[in-house]
Amino acid sequence: MSTLNYRKLSRSGRWLDVRRRRLGMWAYVLNRITGLGLVVYLYLHLGVLSLLLRGPAAWDSFVAVARSPYVLALDVILLAGILIHGLNGLRIALTGFGIGVGAQKALFVVIMVISAVALWVAALKIFRV
Amino acid sequence: MNMLKVPLQIFRYKPGQTPGYDTFTVEIPATAHVIDAIDAVWTSHDHSLAFRRACHHSSCGSCAIRINGLEKLPCVTRVTDVWDGRSQVRLDPLRNFPIVSDLVVDMADFFRRMSAADMAMICEAEAFLPFTVDTFAVADLEPKLVELPENFSRFTRFEKCIECGICMSACPTMAADEKFLGPAGLAAIHQARKKTLDPVKVEHLLGLADGEHGVWRCHSAFECTEACPQAVDPAGKIMALRRELIARRFLKMLGK
Amino acid sequence: MPDLLELNDGLFVAITEADLVFKDRFLQGCAACHVPAREISVEHALAVEPFLNPKILAAIQVPDGVFEPFRFCLAFLATAQENGATIRTYSEVTDLLCAGKNVTGVRIRDQHTGKQEALKVDLVVNAAGPWAGEIAAKAGVGVPEIPTAGVMVALDCRLNNLVLNRLNKPSDGDIIVPQRATSVIGTTSWAVENPDLITIPPEHVDRMITQGQQLIPAVKKVPMRAKMAVARPLIARSGIAARELSRTFECFDHERDGTNGFVTITGGKTTTARAMAEKVSDMVCRKLDISAECRTRDTPLCSYRLFFQQRGSRNQSFVGAPGDRSSGRECFR
Repeated sequence: MSTLNYRKLSRSGRWLDVRRRRLGMWAYVLNRITGLGLVVYLYLHLGVLSLLLRGPAAWDSFVAVARSPYVLALDVILLAGILIHGLNGLRIALTGFGIGVGAQKALFVVIMVISAVALWVAALKIFRV
Repeated sequence: MNMLKVPLQIFRYKPGQTPGYDTFTVEIPATAHVIDAIDAVWTSHDHSLAFRRACHHSSCGSCAIRINGLEKLPCVTRVTDVWDGRSQVRLDPLRNFPIVSDLVVDMADFFRRMSAADMAMICEAEAFLPFTVDTFAVADLEPKLVELPENFSRFTRFEKCIECGICMSACPTMAADEKFLGPAGLAAIHQARKKTLDPVKVEHLLGLADGEHGVWRCHSAFECTEACPQAVDPAGKIMALRRELIARRFLKMLGK
Repeated sequence: MPDLLELNDGLFVAITEADLVFKDRFLQGCAACHVPAREISVEHALAVEPFLNPKILAAIQVPDGVFEPFRFCLAFLATAQENGATIRTYSEVTDLLCAGKNVTGVRIRDQHTGKQEALKVDLVVNAAGPWAGEIAAKAGVGVPEIPTAGVMVALDCRLNNLVLNRLNKPSDGDIIVPQRATSVIGTTSWAVENPDLITIPPEHVDRMITQGQQLIPAVKKVPMRAKMAVARPLIARSGIAARELSRTFECFDHERDGTNGFVTITGGKTTTARAMAEKVSDMVCRKLDISAECRTRDTPLCSYRLFFQQRGSRNQSFVGAPGDRSSGRECFR
């Protein structure tokens, strides 16, 4: 009997199909996206830090750029990624050990609320620089 | 009898042809379930529609499909629960299974996993009644303990899992990893492990769970537990297996 | 097949005085059939089944069980497959191939591919259940089989562990069967023209709920999970109403109708499946000049899961647990 595997997304991308999925799946997707984002950021960050090797002139000119509101906005996005990934990571660590499995949705909501509040406070502080 | 004219948009595929959707409008009683609508399509419109169904009361697990994108058992899903009165009701086969024809998917690999877990379909019944998968059903009834007749040491019942494959369709890791045992396979391993006293079998089952395509592939999406029509809670069982595996590792490290 | 049976015994309970009068006849009947039935006290019955109607007048405990409907059938199919049978699913018999008056094969439409196929065979066994009459008609022979539908209602929770029956002659809604997480109330009986399209009469559903409450009053409080109807193949006996037709089975060799190569087996209940298989196998062997004894009564069945495993196109192997029942070799005798 012949069978067909039809999918518009390639196998590695199917997790992006979140239609009709619930909170747990959103946590999963956000964790993946923030994880990828943080990895990209890590390389950028190391690249930026390597400017230190080029002496004060190179570093100072970078800092001047870094103070621009566009970069600060990116910093806020970065912070969002860190908060979501970090706090959700805690949730996954807990549920992965079987603690709070029944409350996983509530935990996710709490995490998102904390992230939102912390992000708001941090954004205010960042932009008042 | 109040009748409804319900428009269905059904996924069609036959080998060698391009997949697509066919639309049918069926006239069914207002109290009908979605499977009755599919039956009506087959009987009155298109005999070539391939679909699976048997028991019509969520016991066999054959009829599992996606209704408007969400995995459900059409035999216990009322048409009025999924139809807004105007738009078409979309029916698709389960995700993460090879499609054989129309709404029928290939269950061979799924049952290979279930055979590997080798969970017996019978288990001990609870000490009280009523027993249900849906807690709302018993909201009005006080649970009561049952006494066993003298010729019985326990009552038995069938396991809640009906091997419908809905959890596998909802699981993002199933989408990514072809060999993942899946929520159904791992939940079955958990149940089988709970019921066995044979240490060799326990080692084997835990070995499967601890393996490359076992519990560690789960990334906590919890969609399986959300979608399961029988409240099996596969995610909870996967985490329970993890707890046991880790406990064993600790004990081994401490030289036990 | 212990894994596919809930073996929790059954109770026959008397609700009315008329039921009570039936008790002795019932006990005698059980004794005559060697069914170990014993009367138990009403208090004990109510302790064992707390949701049973507290007003029952008598209770008789009998051995009984509940099978897993689909998997039970699949176990037979899997065993047949393991022993060399080819099972064509989604294939509809559109016609019987005939040479003169004799049947030489079947024409099927395989709904996987949409294509028609002609299969030439030595003998066609018509085991089509409620469609047996329809299939026989394609060969120009008659079979006294009446598709007789019945309604069952499955509740949202399981209210009993034992099979509960009304202690009286068969009537509508006189049984509540527990299964997994549900209790199923059954059943009714009416002849239908077309087994493919059965409309469930709402009054039958109401009757199930009303009669069910006689056995378990709490039925009133539990939502309905599903209602289903399917036609049973009953063998017609002139002058007997549908409700009274017994569930006997019969084997017809249509050579006596002038049509060779065609045999029908019909009637019966699931519990008599193997007896039916034995009867028709013996007939088939006689017709094909094969001298062999039917081994069904001693053949253990394979795991139902094998039914699916052998049919798939891909071949992943998952290492089974030691001693797992899915090994095909265990059912080869």
